[in-house]
Amino acid sequence: MTQKLEASLQFVFECPLPNGMHARPASHLAEAANRFASEYTLTNLRNGLVANPKSVLGIIAADIRLHDRCSVDIIGDDQQAALKALHQFVTEKLPSCDVPLAGIASPGRNANLPRPLQAVDVPCVFGTSVSRGVGQGKVVILRKMPLPDDLTAEPQTDSRRELTRIEGAISAVRQQLNDKLKYSLTPTGTAVLQADLAIAGDVFLIQKLKEEILGGKSAAQAIVRTGKFFIDLFAHSENEYIRQRSADIEEICLQLLHEVDPALLNRTAVTLHEPSVVVAETLAPQQFLELDRRWLKALVLEHSGATSHAAILARSLGIPTLTDVRNGHLILSEGREVVVDANRGFVVPLSSEPVKRFYERELKTLQKRKASRAEDTRARTTTADGIPVELAANVSTGEEIGVAFENGAEGIGLFRTEMIFLGRDDAPSEEEQFAIYSEAIRAAEGRPVIVRTFDIGGDKPARYLNQPAEENPFLGNRGVRLYTAHQKLLHTQLRAMLRSSAQGPLQIIAPMISSLAEVKHFKNAIAEVAQQLQQDGIPHAPNIKVGIMVEVPAVAFMIEELCQEVDFFSIGTNDLIQYFVAADRSNREVATLYTGSHPAFLRFLKHICDQIHRAGKWVGICGDMAAERRYLPLLIALGLDELSVPAIEIRELKREIARLARPECTKLLEQALRCREAAEVDGLLASHRSEQPESLLSEDLVLLDSTSQSKEEVMQEMVDALYVTHRTHDRQLFEEALWAREAVYSTGLGYGFATPHCKTDAINSDSICVLRLNGPIHWGSVDGEGVRMVVLLALRSSENGANHMQVFSTLARKLMNEDFRQHLVKSESARQVITYLGEQLGIANNSET
Amino acid sequence: MKIVAVTACPTGIAHTYMAAARLEKVAKTMGHEIKVETQGAMGIENKLTESDIRQAQFAIFAVDIEVEGKERFHGVKVIQVPLQDALKSPEAIFAKIQR
Repeated sequence: MTQKLEASLQFVFECPLPNGMHARPASHLAEAANRFASEYTLTNLRNGLVANPKSVLGIIAADIRLHDRCSVDIIGDDQQAALKALHQFVTEKLPSCDVPLAGIASPGRNANLPRPLQAVDVPCVFGTSVSRGVGQGKVVILRKMPLPDDLTAEPQTDSRRELTRIEGAISAVRQQLNDKLKYSLTPTGTAVLQADLAIAGDVFLIQKLKEEILGGKSAAQAIVRTGKFFIDLFAHSENEYIRQRSADIEEICLQLLHEVDPALLNRTAVTLHEPSVVVAETLAPQQFLELDRRWLKALVLEHSGATSHAAILARSLGIPTLTDVRNGHLILSEGREVVVDANRGFVVPLSSEPVKRFYERELKTLQKRKASRAEDTRARTTTADGIPVELAANVSTGEEIGVAFENGAEGIGLFRTEMIFLGRDDAPSEEEQFAIYSEAIRAAEGRPVIVRTFDIGGDKPARYLNQPAEENPFLGNRGVRLYTAHQKLLHTQLRAMLRSSAQGPLQIIAPMISSLAEVKHFKNAIAEVAQQLQQDGIPHAPNIKVGIMVEVPAVAFMIEELCQEVDFFSIGTNDLIQYFVAADRSNREVATLYTGSHPAFLRFLKHICDQIHRAGKWVGICGDMAAERRYLPLLIALGLDELSVPAIEIRELKREIARLARPECTKLLEQALRCREAAEVDGLLASHRSEQPESLLSEDLVLLDSTSQSKEEVMQEMVDALYVTHRTHDRQLFEEALWAREAVYSTGLGYGFATPHCKTDAINSDSICVLRLNGPIHWGSVDGEGVRMVVLLALRSSENGANHMQVFSTLARKLMNEDFRQHLVKSESARQVITYLGEQLGIANNSET
Repeated sequence: MKIVAVTACPTGIAHTYMAAARLEKVAKTMGHEIKVETQGAMGIENKLTESDIRQAQFAIFAVDIEVEGKERFHGVKVIQVPLQDALKSPEAIFAKIQR
């Protein structure tokens, strides 16, 4: 049969998709088109853009929006069949191709925002706070690795060779994606991988790559140029879905580049020039350390468990950090000024007046709270009944040590040295380590420093150890288990440590111990190194103290034997909990199981502490549990010799410990140990309050010149006043309790007075707060008049101290009295208010000053 | 006129007592004899006895929640109003009784 010149067949359709022809519908159309040999031309009749429907990227690039009319021309041997199939696809299947993509939603407008912000309906995204604080600055997006700029240096030698390299890279990347697809567990994950796979095999992409090579570029250059071409193309789309494809293309191009030449992908450091909020998918410890901390005001990580190393570093350096931020792109665009509120767990753009006003006040409040009752940081930490509790700091870098002692640390309870080992191409030298440990010891000025030998492996691999990927790294070759195979690395570290020990009290602790043999091996290594130093005439402390981490449950039932070998123990709750309850601490799905509140875990801790103390040895705790204030009474009752926490938490915990008395802690521990469920323990801890109730009134709680402009702002101002004076630790809960009461009916009682009140355990002690406004505000009062005077009554719901209800009821009755109200309205000073209330309510005037 | 009353609000911290104070004051100015029982965060205070209730011509419930021991008022004319009414316009409540 002779080939005849056929006329092309054509049909026209209208795009039925509300979000336009984005990646997913495009990939279905391309799939349908690729079943036939015919050649196609798709023309968007609105903008005249022409594409090959066999290419997903081509279809996307034609920028087809809802109701755009498009023509498809088909030519080739099977054009009849192709026409039929494609027409059928467009009319029957296309309209249903657009199930909303998971992970794309509008910004949250959520009840979790503080009221003044809720009232103005600002957009926000939520996340999990892993390091508290508030930071504001311009968004700097840290891509995993940006696609390098045009590679000019690399010359092309042979276009055939380069083509082969490209083809090899494409098939390797597709193979990897297919492998990942096999193990993909979530529909979203699968959809993303499928989209990536479609891009990696896209005819338009491949065509572009080949064109570049035939034009004289090397494989690597072709990838970079093709990547930039598509990124530019999509970046200008008006379609949000399509703009996001830029990131996918970049990702695929990076993978291709990695296949062609991994050396081209050296990380490029990001330089910060102004107050910045750094946004990244995840952050390696080394990447974190490369950021200029002067300008790093907050971090937003899209994926990262609460105990990831970036989170630990952020906490120890006091950088407000949110993780697991969903839909971050809706707010976090490069250069946008935002506030990261890691106390409450969200990000808002700093664009509207109410947000600016709110955070101006908020920053002042936080500052005041920090400054209030600033103690002598050198003073020893003691409980209310005078029992000393050693409060030490966990650190990961030399610079944190200064921060730790500024905050009043009584020692370094855990110096995690793995940060020195990670994120680099070869191991740190003895001299480098010696300098770091010596600096730590000097900064400690005689206070003890516990240095942990490297805990590499698990979630913290080091490149130069060439560790094979493990299926279950947390249960694999990590910590002390690597020491036999990497004897030299261990010896170098121990040498540096022992040399530093000549300068002060350095102690050595080993991670991930699970057997006696490991301890013996570890001690032998120390003895060997000490002997060498002796021979070399290098000074070191003679009898260095050696301890082990309690992270593997097996240790708990070997304590007697272990006590004969070691001087001390330190409980690492992060790992101990995950191994004890068999719940991966970085897996969100089992997050509820991963809790220190499990009664079995508390009993386990008690067993460990008792056993170690019975043998007369020292035991500290250095996991995140130690920094959670609600657990403090339990830890004090367990008699732990030291609590080691992030430096930033020390002041707050010191204050809290001073409020606790040992007998009440012991009682609480006994109750907790008898609980049957973690939830019971949580409830018990929530209802517990420290002794020493404060007086109801204080001058700090009389605010006579309030400039608040709304009910929301008044509530915030009063709640903040209690927060600054440490009368509440949970402003959100407290405020919500007030609003819950307000929702029943307004507490505006007429005469220009309002009496917001609540009963909640979010406050530490019963309190009365008085606020006088400069101008009337709307409160929804019974007489419809504005409010000038606000008297807030806050009562704890679980009462175990003095009951102030009698005072509250007297106050409520007095407020019905014109004389009494006038007295408050006309008071000239906070002192006057306090004195008058003291007389009228018959309470001793023992307000603090 | 002899009147008994009960005040009670959801949290029982403020309004229960404010309403009681208001009812007592207005009753006095209008020449009534009143005894107000408060059912608040401190439990029942100034509890109405059987004879208080028997002697009263009227009972006022200024409440937002269920009155505890309602059966005690069997056989007495009861006016129940939202607690807020006792704050806003107690005079109106008494006027209603007199009618």
